[in-house]
Parts: sequence; structure tokens; C-alpha cells
Amino acid sequence: MIGLDAPRQAEASAAQAGDAAHGARFADAFRASETPMVMTDPGRADNPIVFANPAFCRVTGYEEHEVMGRNCRFLQGPDTDPAAVARVRQAVAQGEPVQVDILNYRKDGRPFWNAMTLTPVRDERGTLSTYFALLSDVTGTRQAELALMREKEVLARDIEARNRALQAALDQQTALLHEVDHRVKNNLQVISSLVLLKARRAQDAACREVLRSMADRIGALATVHRLLYTLDDVSRFELRDFAADFAIELEAGIDPERIALTVDVEAVAVPASMAAPLALLMHELATNAVRHAFPDGRRGRVALTARREGEHLVLEVWDDGIGLSDAPANPEAFGRDLVGMLVRQLRGSLVVEDLGPGTRAHVVLPLGPDSGPGR
Amino acid sequence: MSGPALRVLIVEDEAFIALELECLIEEAGHVAVGVATRSQEAVALARDLSPDVALVDVHLADGPTGIGVAQDLSARPGTTVLFTTANAKRVPPDFAGAAGIIAKPYSERVIRAALAYVAWRRHGGASTEPPDGVVLSPAIRGDAAPDPDLPD
Repeated sequence: MIGLDAPRQAEASAAQAGDAAHGARFADAFRASETPMVMTDPGRADNPIVFANPAFCRVTGYEEHEVMGRNCRFLQGPDTDPAAVARVRQAVAQGEPVQVDILNYRKDGRPFWNAMTLTPVRDERGTLSTYFALLSDVTGTRQAELALMREKEVLARDIEARNRALQAALDQQTALLHEVDHRVKNNLQVISSLVLLKARRAQDAACREVLRSMADRIGALATVHRLLYTLDDVSRFELRDFAADFAIELEAGIDPERIALTVDVEAVAVPASMAAPLALLMHELATNAVRHAFPDGRRGRVALTARREGEHLVLEVWDDGIGLSDAPANPEAFGRDLVGMLVRQLRGSLVVEDLGPGTRAHVVLPLGPDSGPGR
Repeated sequence: MSGPALRVLIVEDEAFIALELECLIEEAGHVAVGVATRSQEAVALARDLSPDVALVDVHLADGPTGIGVAQDLSARPGTTVLFTTANAKRVPPDFAGAAGIIAKPYSERVIRAALAYVAWRRHGGASTEPPDGVVLSPAIRGDAAPDPDLPD
């Protein structure tokens, strides 16, 4: 085995040890190895080098005689990390093995990254006899790693800058949306106020009634706009929320003793583009029933239902009033025309059944691919 | 209408909205005591007229100053502030002292119901359901200190 000191001394004491040939073969193997190796003697002052193989000399650029008897610190230079040096020093002081990547310098001053393994060697009695170091020039790998790290940093900074730009653009868009939303709502309030002011001043009862019904339609649109953008998904509109709001407004205008209103609308998130015509359609159908199905103080019931059936929305307004055939002729029939136009706009179909007594309007509307179940 | 008439100050820069509100308030049996279109005017009118209720828009002729107006007016004993705004997101979490928010576009029914609710609470009426269409402030909802302007 490798003795207390160095292979040379091991060779010298080979005869006594009785395994001279064995020891010499080991020493030859160390000398022939392509791995740079060095041994130091901690038993002597300043832990000097007592063995260095030719591979070590090739990597460091020093001749063997130039390194023998010197402490390994001559390999350090200006950019050697003091923390790495401290790690080695601590391991040596505690007699423990250490693996460290450390920047070393060749004789000609060129630096190289040294991945070093330092192992303390003990004799049979457990006494620390030798430090054995394996060196590896990892400059190439290290440079590639550094380049990769720098590239990653550049990329990360780039992504961060892009994210900031995107966030700024999004913030601006959101602010714009809020601004437009605010203006639309405010304008709807102005329009509604104008119509209601004119209705208050109209002398003619019929004229007043027309203006009031227009204000109601504007009110239905206003409700839509108040509810738009309240979902997380701004492209959708929750029909149930509209129906709840609309039902309260409708109920406020009727005598609950005379007409019982029931509203049963499922949670359906419809595309925002459908919101306004759909709201107007519900308003027209329900208002027609409430206004025209119960003349002369007649009592009855009105039911508004809406549910999703596959890719379609099924909307029904039912009443047990006088029915179509008994209704007085309405030459203007604006509400009925409006219903027809809205159903066409929404690409749906409408069936109005005369239940005699009573009427049922059955509307089927395609919801489109971007609709989904409500909350 | 329930309870005595309320004296209402309108703080709104849109002339038509303000005028229609005046008509509606009178029709509901209350008294519209004045209309302010700017923040300073609102504060001065409130000082001179001591209204029971102020309906305050967030955006006034001098900018988004309705929040400050609400703070000032709600600090006056005896004045209940309600926001009427299309920009409810601008109202701070404590409602700047206001009792509630009526989101624009509102219907006449909501204004009537809100005023009736305030009248009920001011005159010690039996507790009623909060009116639909009005978002009440945390203080009024009862999870904080009771509002001094709205005795229960």
C-alpha cells in the first residue's frame, strides 16, 4: 500500500514491507494516470507536496521539481473564491474529505476550473498520514454552465420585461373598459331620465303610456348593462341575475292581488352579445302578458321560465288570461313585432299557442359554442 | 309613502338626471331641497340646507370628487348619504361614510324604495328588509358600529 510519505519512500521501504513489487506497481499506475494527482504530508510543516504525477504537471504547467515541497496554495490566484479556499482549509483542519470547484492558475497565469477531490489517508493506527488530491480541469464545462446561466438570466429579464409590458397593456385596457362601461351606464341613465321627464309632462294619457313603456324597455337594457362585466368572464352574461332583477321591476308595476307572477330561470351564462336582445325579448313577452292578457280587472297568473337544453335556451312565457282570439285588435302591435324581430336577430324560433283561455309563447334560441352553464 | 317627508339634496352633474330625480323625489312625497353639480357647491348647500338625505354621484363637474363630498356630508349629524353612481368600483370599502350605493342605471322604483327605507330607519320604524338595488355599507349591514345617522 501507499505508505506514510510518498511513493518514492514507499519504494524505498518496499523491501522491509515485503511487498515492493506491489507498491511499485501502484506508484507506476499513479504516474501513468491521465488524472492529475497530488499528495501532501500533513505531518510536515505547511503540509507540503510530496508527490505529483505527470498529468498534474501537464495541467498546471509546472515541472515536478517546482512543486515538490510547496503548499498547494500557489495554485490560487486573484479570482479564486475565498469561500472555496475556506472550505478546503476547514476540511483539512477537521481531517475530512472535501469536493470543491475552485479557480486555480497555471504557471503561465491562465486560470482553470479545478473540480478537486481531497481525501485524507490514515495509516493502520488511524493516524492521518497523507492528503491525496484528484484534480479535474472542468474549465469547459464551467464556462458552458456560466454561459447557460447568463443566457437564462437574460431570458428571465426579457420575460419579466415582456410581462411588465403585457400587464401595463392589460391595465390600460381594463381602465378603458371601465371608462366605457361607466359612460354607457351614465348615458342610459340620461336617456331614461329624458324619456321619463317627457312622460311626466305629456298631457295626453296615451302619449304618456307610450313614453312609459319606452322607458321600461330602456330600463331592461339598463339592467343588462348594470349586470355586464360583473362575472369574472366579461364575455358572458348571467341570465338568472337579469331575471331576478327584471322580476322585481315587473312585480312593482302590477297588483299582486290580481296577477300572480312566477319566474323560474336557470343559471345560464349566455354570450354577452346575446344579452341585450335576450333581455328585451324577455321584457316584451312578459310585459305583453301582464298588460294585455287580463283586461277589465281580470285575475290570473303569469309564468316566465328559461332553461338550457343542450345547445339551446328555451324561454317560455305562459299566462291564463283571455287568449289571443279574444284579445281586442291591436293595430300597432309594436310589442309583437318587436318580439318577432328579436327572435330573428337571435336566430331562434317562436311558437305562440292560444290555449283559449291563456297563451303560451315558446322560444328556442341557439346559445352558440361559447356559452356555458351558469354559476 | 311611509313616515314624514325627507329633505333631499341632489349632488349630480348631469342636468337631466338631476331634474328627473327632483320630479321623482317630489312624486314620492319628499322634498328636493337643492341640486349641486360641483363638490364645493354640495358642501355649501348641505351646510345651508341641512338635508336629511344626499344622493351623491361619484363623478361631478369638478372630477371624481363625490367621494370627498360623501365624507364631508356624512360627517354632518342628521344627514344620510347614498351614492348614485355608474362607477361603484370607485367607492372605498368603508363607503366614505355613505349608507349605501345605488348603481346607475337605476330604476325609479329603486330610488323610491331607498328613500322609504331611510325614512323608516330615521323615524324608528320596525326593521325592514333592505331595499333591493341598494348596496348597504358595512356599517349599516350591522357587522360594524351602528351608523349615528340611522338610529335603529
